[in-house]
Amino acid sequence: MKLLTCPMNGPRNIDEFQSFGPVRARPDPNATADKEWSRHLFRAENRKGVVVEWWRHVPSNYFFLAERDLVRNEIIRTFDASQLRDRA
Amino acid sequence: MATAARIYPFMPGGAAEGTKLVSGAVVLSDLTDKPRFGLKGGGSAAWLAAQGVPLPTVNRIGEHRGMRVLRLGNEDILLLAEGTGETLAQIKTAWLAAATSKGYSSWREEGWAWMRLSGPRLAEAMSGLCALDLRPKKFGADDLAQTRVGHIEAVTFRSPTGFDILFDITASAYFARAVAAVAGHTDQHHA
Repeated sequence: MKLLTCPMNGPRNIDEFQSFGPVRARPDPNATADKEWSRHLFRAENRKGVVVEWWRHVPSNYFFLAERDLVRNEIIRTFDASQLRDRA
Repeated sequence: MATAARIYPFMPGGAAEGTKLVSGAVVLSDLTDKPRFGLKGGGSAAWLAAQGVPLPTVNRIGEHRGMRVLRLGNEDILLLAEGTGETLAQIKTAWLAAATSKGYSSWREEGWAWMRLSGPRLAEAMSGLCALDLRPKKFGADDLAQTRVGHIEAVTFRSPTGFDILFDITASAYFARAVAAVAGHTDQHHA
């Protein structure tokens, strides 16, 4: 059983969670060409390295962020979304 | 507020009519018709606090005039009344009348089933239904867990006789059968 530590509920079986993909910058609708828009909507970046992703703990409907190493598929840390806002 | 005669799942005419609630070494009882009131969304916590309801921290249970106060999230709170439900009814009436920011009703009285698991083989049955460590030293009377019980999303916490479980009301019949199956296994191992 693989465990993921929810910042609100603690360590849980990973099948209590749903992944929502990497945190991405939202393109400016007034300054983005169709080509970039379609790339943003339909193409996944799929690069190697560490990404910050949105995850949801399903039973409590709590959304949070996880830093994950895509090569080793290892979750480095999980944290509340307010920490990202504070950093920005 | 007048409560219209509601049909709950295990009642005649309900969606789970005829599904047996297990009893014996493991006992499942239905509390779905007991009063409860949930609020969620911005303003819920502040409104309840202004009514004098003491709010515990997230995933903990508080007490207010005979009601249990379950904090499911910062702005997701559920009040449970097993007895007369007078205080709960008062709070509900006040909430309906309030014009200030007050959150939204989460309709837990209609959306969630409320069941209680007890009996001499409770601990074994619960360990078959839920992956969490719910032993008393790890999971106290004021704790609540939002997790899976019997493979469905549920909220569980201790009651004086066992564990209470809140889950999607449409899964009532499934849940009763899942508990019966686990209770059956527990019996076989001790036959």
